[in-house]
Amino acid sequence: MDPSVLVPKPDALPICWGWFQILLIITLFLHIILMNVMLGTGIIAFVNLFRSNGSATPLSRNISGKLPFAIAFTVNFGIAPLLFVQVLYGNFLYASSVLMANFWLSVIGLLIASYYLAYIFNYNYNSLKSGRILLLGFSVTSMLLIGFLMSNNFTMMQRPDVWVRYFEKPTGLLLNLADPTLFPRYFHFITAAIAIGGLSIALYYEYLHKKGDESAQEKVQYGCNWFGYATIVNYGFGFWFFGTLPAHVHNINTLTGTLIALFLLTAITLGGFAIVFSLRGQVMPTLYTVLMTIFLMILIRDLVRVAYLKPFFSLSDLTVVPQYSPFILFLIFFIGGLALVGWMLKLAWNALDNEEVQS
Amino acid sequence: MNYPVWQLDAAGGGLLIAMMAVFHVYISHFAVGGGLFLVLTEMKGLRENNQSIVDYVRRHTKFFLLLTMVAGSMTGVGIWFTISLLNPAATSKLIHIFVFGWAIEWVFFAAEIISLFIYYYTFGRMDNRNHVIIGWVYFGCAWMSLFVINGIIDFMLTPGAWIDNNNFWSGYFNPTFWPALFFRSFLAFMLAGLYGFVTASNIKDSELRVKLVRYCALWLVAPFVLFLGSAWWYRAALPPELQTLIFERMPEVRPYLNGFSLFGPVLMLGGLIMAIRMPQAITRPIAYIMLLIGLLYMGSFEFIREAGRRPYIIRDHMYSTSILKQDIAKVQQNGLLIEAKWVKNRVIREETKLEAGREIFNILCLPCHSVGGPLNNIKKLTRNYTPQGLDAKISKIDSFSPYMPPFAGTEDERKALAHYIAFGLNNRKDRKEDVVIQPIPDDQVPEFDIEKSKYVLLAWSDMGMRSVTDASNTWMMLPPGVTLNAQLIERGETPDVIVDGVTITYEIEENFINPAQRVAFWRNAAVLYNREVEANTGLTGNGLSGTMVPEQEWFSATLLPVFPYTIDNRYIPYPTFTLTARNSDNEIIAATKAASPSATEIACQYCHGGLWKMDDRAGISDVTAKNVLETHDRISGTNLQGMVENGMPVLCNRCHADSSQDAAGNKEQLNLSAAIHGFHANFLAGRGAAFCVLCHPSESGGATRAYRDIHRSLGLNCTYCHGEIEDHAISLLKGELANGKSRAAELLQHIKPANFASVDDVEPRQPWINEPDCLNCHVDFQIPEVDTTFNRWTDGEENLYRNRTDESGRIRCAACHSSPHAVYPAENPYNENRDSIQPLQYQDEPFPIGSNFNCKVCHTIDMEEEMHHGNMLREFRNQ
Repeated sequence: MDPSVLVPKPDALPICWGWFQILLIITLFLHIILMNVMLGTGIIAFVNLFRSNGSATPLSRNISGKLPFAIAFTVNFGIAPLLFVQVLYGNFLYASSVLMANFWLSVIGLLIASYYLAYIFNYNYNSLKSGRILLLGFSVTSMLLIGFLMSNNFTMMQRPDVWVRYFEKPTGLLLNLADPTLFPRYFHFITAAIAIGGLSIALYYEYLHKKGDESAQEKVQYGCNWFGYATIVNYGFGFWFFGTLPAHVHNINTLTGTLIALFLLTAITLGGFAIVFSLRGQVMPTLYTVLMTIFLMILIRDLVRVAYLKPFFSLSDLTVVPQYSPFILFLIFFIGGLALVGWMLKLAWNALDNEEVQS
Repeated sequence: MNYPVWQLDAAGGGLLIAMMAVFHVYISHFAVGGGLFLVLTEMKGLRENNQSIVDYVRRHTKFFLLLTMVAGSMTGVGIWFTISLLNPAATSKLIHIFVFGWAIEWVFFAAEIISLFIYYYTFGRMDNRNHVIIGWVYFGCAWMSLFVINGIIDFMLTPGAWIDNNNFWSGYFNPTFWPALFFRSFLAFMLAGLYGFVTASNIKDSELRVKLVRYCALWLVAPFVLFLGSAWWYRAALPPELQTLIFERMPEVRPYLNGFSLFGPVLMLGGLIMAIRMPQAITRPIAYIMLLIGLLYMGSFEFIREAGRRPYIIRDHMYSTSILKQDIAKVQQNGLLIEAKWVKNRVIREETKLEAGREIFNILCLPCHSVGGPLNNIKKLTRNYTPQGLDAKISKIDSFSPYMPPFAGTEDERKALAHYIAFGLNNRKDRKEDVVIQPIPDDQVPEFDIEKSKYVLLAWSDMGMRSVTDASNTWMMLPPGVTLNAQLIERGETPDVIVDGVTITYEIEENFINPAQRVAFWRNAAVLYNREVEANTGLTGNGLSGTMVPEQEWFSATLLPVFPYTIDNRYIPYPTFTLTARNSDNEIIAATKAASPSATEIACQYCHGGLWKMDDRAGISDVTAKNVLETHDRISGTNLQGMVENGMPVLCNRCHADSSQDAAGNKEQLNLSAAIHGFHANFLAGRGAAFCVLCHPSESGGATRAYRDIHRSLGLNCTYCHGEIEDHAISLLKGELANGKSRAAELLQHIKPANFASVDDVEPRQPWINEPDCLNCHVDFQIPEVDTTFNRWTDGEENLYRNRTDESGRIRCAACHSSPHAVYPAENPYNENRDSIQPLQYQDEPFPIGSNFNCKVCHTIDMEEEMHHGNMLREFRNQ
């Protein structure tokens, strides 16, 4: 069966696709970073607890307090890219989602479980004993499972050639395990998360250090080491991932292939710098280089998808039935929302800061 | 159609979205109302300088945060995931139309989360004024996110002008937007109080507890009147056809309407009870029960709203099957299995019929019907239908069930779907071969001496096909009643028709006496007819043997209660009568036999389920009969089932006039024939005579085969004279329209004529009176040049074939030609000669009396000139 027969017809866009592409990249970038902080710190805290046999450590206590926030914002910032990817690639994404429907829907259950477990972990942190490992372990495992399911869906959506498996099993129980890119991709994302988790720990303690807490310094290096070593390992996963990509994806005779090569070389270089900075304890330079690296990686990821889908679809195929006013209104609300949030954060900051000053 | 279908069984029909959505909506409305509750209660505490109230607010905020941030928001995302899986086409449509609506909602979500976190974590650490402002910001953002999503939800039910102009703002600010916004807002405030009960009843200090529980009761009760007002407004804003659909035409929705009407006052009562000073041991459980009732209350509303949208997912635009309204014609033409993308069986073959049926079911039925699950379980709804019955029902299911879409596929696909449901899901074992008729011995033809016999006795039943609805425990539509007629001819060169000085007696054959032992008719007759009917007598008092009554030139015995069941419970629908003519000295002067057709083979069970009652081929079982009433009650809003349960079987002609039974009906309802044909024509159209025989016992493979005369042998089927059921129904309905019955117009609107350009071309008729006239084809008794004669009717009863006479006015046509549908030569399915006894008796040939130059039969000599009717002195054409 010719897989292009199965590709559903997309709906028309209200504005030019380029806008959605920009929104998608930006919001996905933010989501990935938040997710990395959430998952990375969760994993590091788990390892931390493991090493202490479940007894409380300052680091894990700290992370436990922040994990529910991290989850809340990761999810909130996950909504935006999910919206925009459905606008641009919905016809692919819905199809692959249905093929793995049971698994996809279980993400919600896993999310709720992971979130509530994180709260229980936090509220009962002091009274728990070895139960800390279990609670955090389950919470983090749920997150890891969600990530795995995400990887399945987002790889399967770009593989209409495997969609024909639906006819053997239409009950929503398919995954994309046979795809050679799945596992290296997944490990690459997870290891990156661990790295960013480490970096965010380093950043947090760097902030404390700047505010006068001397003991924070060793935690900064601790975080930086996590980042550095995880990133070194991640180079391995990255090359493995690249090696499993079909040749036509990174064919430099194509525009996408050229861009991928360009961005990848830049990212690899920047990543190298980030590793060096981190192992030397230079938190801010690490941050800047890694943010650029991640941004480039997000772009590469998108280009890879474009290449995979080229035989079936390109974004310029989408019809536009222009209606710009809702977009304009959204931008107005967005800017207003930023201002509102900024003002609220300032109020909160002042209230909490004052308190610390007073105490 | 565009997307693969997630093949579910028990979880199908929308169960997943129902669970996810009701759960989410219950918490999210609390997230809105509760936001106002938090900030107003904090202000109350500050205003009254009551720190314990402020502390309560802080604790309530923790509860609020844990509930709404996790379960509330995650299930909101859950709705999104679920709709993408259950109806990706609609989800894609909504996302592409309203992407920036959702994007705006997201801005408010983000602000909500941040403000709630700040509100909780700076409680007692931020100055009061700013803290309260943060609380207001939270509520404002929460309400705005309700505002935004409200537009999209209401769009699905009332898309308004968007259907024509595709404008975002028309779709967004649609007809039910504002009433729904107020409705949901007031509901949100009520829920704030309801949830507040949970935390307030947990307060240990009894004074504070009572105070705050009462405060929560105020939140619950105070908005109720405004809530009801906005509900009224919401309803009024619906287009009229939608109001009719939801509040009158959807049996599925009624329990939820009842729930909504019931739980509201219950909640109000509960609120007032909670305001009474009570110990915590009582208040706390009541709080949880109230919370549960609130869930049922809200769930009832959401079910009503969702169900009311059917058969659409986006009203007037996209059906729940994901097929666009504008594409239905194309899909019906080209086929669903061709137009849909994710289909394996593009062609239906016998060996893949079940599989193809499942694929069609997945696309067209699964969105609303589970397989064995709680929502609209398809197995339960279709268990009564044979595959052919199901095919018929599906073909026009949207005419009487407006919440169903028109079938989106070809005839073959419809059959495959019916096949799948009947055999694949319901494990039916329907009969696939003809009924095996056990032949009976040929009848002994009575004696007649062409030289010596002085009389010719001719006898016939008025109808060649007489149906009895043997379902009298439940309802009676067609009672038993064969009318036998006879004419006694004194032979001679000028024969005479004798009526005076002779008696003609009749007697049914022994195998069929005492039917009261085998049928329930006489047990129910008193209730049905409001008078005693003696066992084994008919409705005019005649028994199965007796003396015929002379009138004019013939004898008759009216409405003999013939049942086609033998003493040993076999079904034989042609009992014979022996007729004997005696002179004034009581000497037998002539005798003959005549078959009396009486059939109970009516296949209501085709669609209404149940099994045959008698001999696996006839009779209407109680189950079938009750199912028929269930349908009648459901569609016509009657309570006939209730009557039966109270021991009163229903007499159809009490409401539906039937001139053949001298029943005037109740003047408002259509006459019986117009009603029953007018309704069933919807489902049984397009298949000609194949479907006449579902009710009329003429199926060529059936147990009666009552249409058995020369016309059938020549290849004419029912429709040649009576028209296809569509046209048949239209003529009857137009007859009722001329009688001023508006219901006829309602039924007419769904029926398309089979052989006419428009309904206007069909001539109205009254049943039993305006019928096809033989002479329409046999013009001047000549060889017919046409073989169809629908749309030209006899003027009145006296012109009916069965009532007419020859040129002399003395001999009934049927005396020589036999009953309609059995005119000579006729073939009886049970033996060789049961329908030819008299022709064989008098002329050794099965043809009409006197045909083939056999005038001798009555005239004792050959005749040179024609009388009786034209063109009769010739060889019988069809030998």
